[in-house]
Parts: sequence; C-alpha cells; structure tokens
Amino acid sequence: MNIQFTLNGKLRTAEVEANTKLADLLRELGCASVKIGCNEGACGSCAVNVDGRLINSCLTYAGQVNGRTVETVEAIGSLDHPHPIQDALVEEGAIQCGYCMPGVILAAKALFDKNPSPTEEELAVALDGQLCRCTGYQKIESALRKLASEARS
Amino acid sequence: MKLTAYHRAKSLADARRLLKELGPTAMPLAGASSHSFVKNDDEKIGVDIADIGFEGVECKNGHFVVGANTRIADLQAFHAPGWVLDRVALRFVSQPLRNMTTIGGNISRVFPWNDFPVALLALNATMTISGEAKTSHLASVFFDGQPSRLFQPGDLLTEISVPEIGEGSGFGYHKESLVNMDFSHLTIAAWIRREGRTIRDARVAVGAGVPLPCRLSALEAELVGKKMRRGGHRRRRGSASGRCFLERGSRIQQ
Repeated sequence: MNIQFTLNGKLRTAEVEANTKLADLLRELGCASVKIGCNEGACGSCAVNVDGRLINSCLTYAGQVNGRTVETVEAIGSLDHPHPIQDALVEEGAIQCGYCMPGVILAAKALFDKNPSPTEEELAVALDGQLCRCTGYQKIESALRKLASEARS
Repeated sequence: MKLTAYHRAKSLADARRLLKELGPTAMPLAGASSHSFVKNDDEKIGVDIADIGFEGVECKNGHFVVGANTRIADLQAFHAPGWVLDRVALRFVSQPLRNMTTIGGNISRVFPWNDFPVALLALNATMTISGEAKTSHLASVFFDGQPSRLFQPGDLLTEISVPEIGEGSGFGYHKESLVNMDFSHLTIAAWIRREGRTIRDARVAVGAGVPLPCRLSALEAELVGKKMRRGGHRRRRGSASGRCFLERGSRIQQ
C-alpha cells in the first residue's frame, strides 16, 4: 500500500507492506539514527516523535503514520548549530557509545517543547522509556536538569 | 501475528462496517502496542480506529466518562478532584508506550499484566460497547472472562465510565514489578468508603498473579465494619495475604 507522511519537514511517499514497521521504513528512508534494539518497545532506541508525541517505532506499523508528521533526530540541530539539548548533553559529557542518544534527545525535545522548565520528576517520567546500555543516566539527567534550570532563570 | 492488510476507519460507523465485512480475521488497531506480545503466525487484517474519535475525559454527574481511544498519557495528564486513574497511568510501562496505548486497547484484550482492569474493578467502572445498540457492563461482568465474549462482530468499546472518588472514599493502586517497564508480578487496587473511622464499603481487586483480574470478595466482606487505624493496613496485610491462595480457573479464595 502507498502511504504519504511528513518526515523531518518533507513530504514523503512510500510503498509498504501492511506488516512493515515504522522503524524499518525510516531506516530504509535513510534515517540511520533510528536504532532497532530490543524490537519490542522496551529500550527506546527506536523512539521517534509522531505529531509531537514520542513513540516506539518498532511497535508502530508504517500505515499508522499515513498523513501524520514524523520527526527523527536527523531534523534536530546540525554539526554547526546543535540544538540546545544536544549542546547540553555534549557539555556534560553525557554521550558514551551514543546508541541511546537519538531516543534520549527526542524524548527530551518532546518534553521541552511542551514544558521548557520541567521539574526533576517530570524529566524522570519523560525519560523513563529510554535505556542507556552504558548506564550513563546521571550525566544525561544532569545535562537536562541544567537545561531546565537555565530556562527557569 | 502478521498483518496482511491495513485499513484506517474514518468514523465509528466505518470501523464497524469494515470489521463486519472483513470478518473474523479483522482486528481493531488502537495503539497496536501489544501486537509484539502475540507470538504466533496468525494472519490478521488491521482496522485502525485511531481517527474515529472517543478521546478525552469528561466529568458528568459524578462520573468521569473516558473515551476508549484516550491515550494512557492523557489519563496521566488529566487532573480533577475525584480522579485517580492518573496514578495508575504513571505506573504504566514507559512514556513512549503511554503515548501509544489507549485505555480501550488495554482492557478489551486482557493480558495478565495489564494495569487498568484491576483499577477499574476496584472503582466499579462501567464499560460501554457500541454495536447495533449500546450495551453497558459493570467491570465485575466485563472482566469475568476475556471481554471479547461480550463483543458481536463489528462491536467496539467506546466509553468507560468511572465514578468520582467522593468525600469519605479513597483509592490505592500498587504494582509489584522490578521496574515499571517490567511485567507485573502482582497488581492490586483498593477502594473504600468510610463513615467516621468505620469502613462501610470496600472493593479490592488483584491482577498479574492470576490469569484474569478478579475481586477479593471475602477480603472485602472482612473489611466492612472494621475501624480504620493509622498503620492498620500494615498489620492486616500479613494475615489477609497469607490466607489467599490461587485456584485453577483464575479465582482467588481467602
């Protein structure tokens, strides 16, 4: 079947099988930031934003995003102009192997877009679906806490 | 499970027509987040019901009317006096899954670890199925077996009515798991109404450790008439749970 959706600001069309998962489609379309880790919604490495909500693309059928807007980390910042979330993570040294980072950045962006100065509890809840296999949670949380604190001041 | 075709319904009538026309291989897709747990080769035709409405929470005459397509994240974000499902939502897996999963999906097909059936049993909620006519079922009936037995071809769950927690009433939900994201070992929800310090009415439901969630009627009867004391639940916990044992057939006896 043919689907049409907005991917990182550009209208895309794709021919997919009914059983095709969004994670597979996005990787075929060149979004290598979408990682397939557990493939059952537990690790968050495949997380993308659909209509501004963070979802697990490994559990989502490609057909479900027909007509919707999908954002991956490819659309967030650039090497020359990183997004403030990316800046904060780099400054804090929060990135180790980097596998979880696309999901972490998108989870943080979904939260900060709605609430620029979240509390520690709100940050923890928003990031509770993102596993870091290097276990670098403290620096990730510290970076995002600083960003939230800067927004408050 | 393998999806062999996908349709997106535009309205309730459209969804009902598609489900009826496509027959038993058709399956409603709400968030579709539970599909990965169904490890078989069954071929299904997906009927996506995300765009048919029935989203959000409204307060009506002492009840919260919850659309079956309401995402768990929206239950978590909703706050009003007498509303307690936000507490249950917060324990639900993870933020991406709270964003995907609907309450209707979580309760229409009951897996042992599902969070909401237990809470809705304790809250004495009512589920409305839209078919040729609307039929309403109390939670005690709805969850007395897989809810699918109550659905005719083309029927869909559309509303859940949850009584407000009023003056003198209280609700608690506990989920025993290593982390939120893990499968529950035990879920328990309790609602009580008191007059002064005396318990006048109680509903206690358990899930996860049993094939289907169920009420603990003997424990409920034991609670009624008892005086509430600070810390009393801790003293009672040992004796009540110690006398619970599982019987084949999903029932718990005290």
